[in-house]
Amino acid sequence: MSKLAATPHTRTGVDVETRYEIERFLYLEAELLDDQRFDEWLELFDDDVHYWLPTRMTRTVRERDLEVAGRDGAAFFDDDKAFLAGRVRRLASGRSWSEEPPSRTRRLITNIRPVRLDSGEFEVRVNFHVLRSRAERHHDTFFGERTDLLRRVPQEPGFHIARRRIVLDTTTLLAPSISIFL
Amino acid sequence: MFDVTELVQPDQGLINPSIYTDPEVYQGELERVFARSWLFLAHDTQLAKPGSFVQTYMAEDPVLVVRQRDGSVKAFLNQCRHRGMRICRADEGVARAFTCTYHGWGYNLAGELVNVPMQDRAYHDEIDKSKWGPTQVPRLHNHKGFIFGTWDESAPAFEDYLGDMIWYFDALADRYDEGLTLVPGATKWVIDCNWKFAAEQFASDMYHVPSSHASALVALIEDPAVLAEFQEQSAAAPGRQYAGNGHGSGFGLRPDLVPTQAGPDFDAWVVANREQIYRRIGEHRALAVNGHNTVFPNFSWLTINNTMRVWHPRGPGQIEVWSWTYLPKDADERAKQAVRTSTIRTFSAAGVFETDDGENWTEIQQVLRGHQARKTTFNARMGLGHERHGTDGMPGRVTDDMYTEMAARGMYRRWADLMSGLSWPEITERDKSRQQREQEAHLA
Repeated sequence: MSKLAATPHTRTGVDVETRYEIERFLYLEAELLDDQRFDEWLELFDDDVHYWLPTRMTRTVRERDLEVAGRDGAAFFDDDKAFLAGRVRRLASGRSWSEEPPSRTRRLITNIRPVRLDSGEFEVRVNFHVLRSRAERHHDTFFGERTDLLRRVPQEPGFHIARRRIVLDTTTLLAPSISIFL
Repeated sequence: MFDVTELVQPDQGLINPSIYTDPEVYQGELERVFARSWLFLAHDTQLAKPGSFVQTYMAEDPVLVVRQRDGSVKAFLNQCRHRGMRICRADEGVARAFTCTYHGWGYNLAGELVNVPMQDRAYHDEIDKSKWGPTQVPRLHNHKGFIFGTWDESAPAFEDYLGDMIWYFDALADRYDEGLTLVPGATKWVIDCNWKFAAEQFASDMYHVPSSHASALVALIEDPAVLAEFQEQSAAAPGRQYAGNGHGSGFGLRPDLVPTQAGPDFDAWVVANREQIYRRIGEHRALAVNGHNTVFPNFSWLTINNTMRVWHPRGPGQIEVWSWTYLPKDADERAKQAVRTSTIRTFSAAGVFETDDGENWTEIQQVLRGHQARKTTFNARMGLGHERHGTDGMPGRVTDDMYTEMAARGMYRRWADLMSGLSWPEITERDKSRQQREQEAHLA
């Protein structure tokens, strides 16, 4: 799994208290999304955030390193803060038909693995399982791994997300769209 | 068996919605529509070197498309002739050969059977390997980098199959001196809907944009006043639609090539290369032909939005969308990134336009579970009787507005002709006489 930080970093473990703070932060983020409090959710991101979900394909073991698309490759999301804000604006428009009426989501964020970089930032890998129920019987499931770059901030809830890389374990997405955030 | 005349009346713009649900109709489509039409297989740039391959589908049939050592391309069914196992199980890559993992039959890049394990002991050296290669796609055509194939030896030549649509296709395919390249990787997703909803919309439907995509521009434009003005202007813009041979193209006429959706970095490249574009396809075509397109049956693109896709059918009620972003091959990196990100944000499966389309199509398909719903005739009569020829010097049947369903009716006409089992010469003949009748009526 490639790393998010631009330059090589020394990675060290984090103490129990920091781990607790990071877990609390990620659960809060999940709650804001499940509760559809998107304006508050958006405030958790740094202004220079890169929010990215590259595509993935089936490759032989020999070409396994090409399985997940690179920065110049195909992606489902490749957003900056301004476009994330645009998506949030769209969701609030009342005319965003893939989320109006809105989906019901439930996020399971597990296997939280934070490390401290020598820049003072934290790189956090988590496993996720997001369930979406829509309309009468529609049901989608999204699962994979997220790698976040977190920065401490003085204000609550204590961190900003500076990078997010989402990698699904599916190649062909078994859903009609990703009209939610992951 | 189904009776095609009961299913669609293209000239009246009437559709019996069981064409979107009936398993028998679907099996008929695999045999009579998909196995007889030219289908998009791959773009040249996906096959960079000898041994480069992609696995795609021709309808439900998995097909390997492979660059040969001499630079040519071959395509063959991804199916071992011994017991039918897939002989390559990666989506793409570079191979020296393909080996079936079941019993180890080996094939070269051309799809010839070259190795049968224990040929002497198990087959007593009696197997004629030249007869047991995977089924080859017998006809391939490379149109300016776009590789198409058909199983049907009797299908018209690719240029004749496209007819006047080639002029509209070339607004994309022939646009740049150095041609196009694709952003690496396909985006693939599944929508529970019939393939014809998607193909028809991209052939014929500008009408859904203001309603279906009402929120997309909210994401793209922050200032409500600017947004309102833009929406008003684009809805009111004059437009045209072309229909022929089952294909369709629709577009609003634009005063300039810029601004593009991709923003200033791509705009700068377009402005610097404007003369090149005008020289290749003409100013008139470059400004006009910028919208939605389908080459019958299931290859679609949005010229100005830099997205193209195949709607692979997966039963009457499901499709796989395979989409790609295309770029001018020689654009600078900033321009390429601008196109790439803007197309991902608007027309990937998470794109602010794209998500709305899937929502409509799945809901229609759900409603069509109902017996009464399947008996209820659909209205495809928009613009009926207002077809024109020779509008603005554009080839083929062209309406003088983009809000029409002429291309939808044309698509169902071609679909009906194929589904009724007419031969290709018969279809071509019928199309000719229809066109003649229309032209005479138009002149009269």
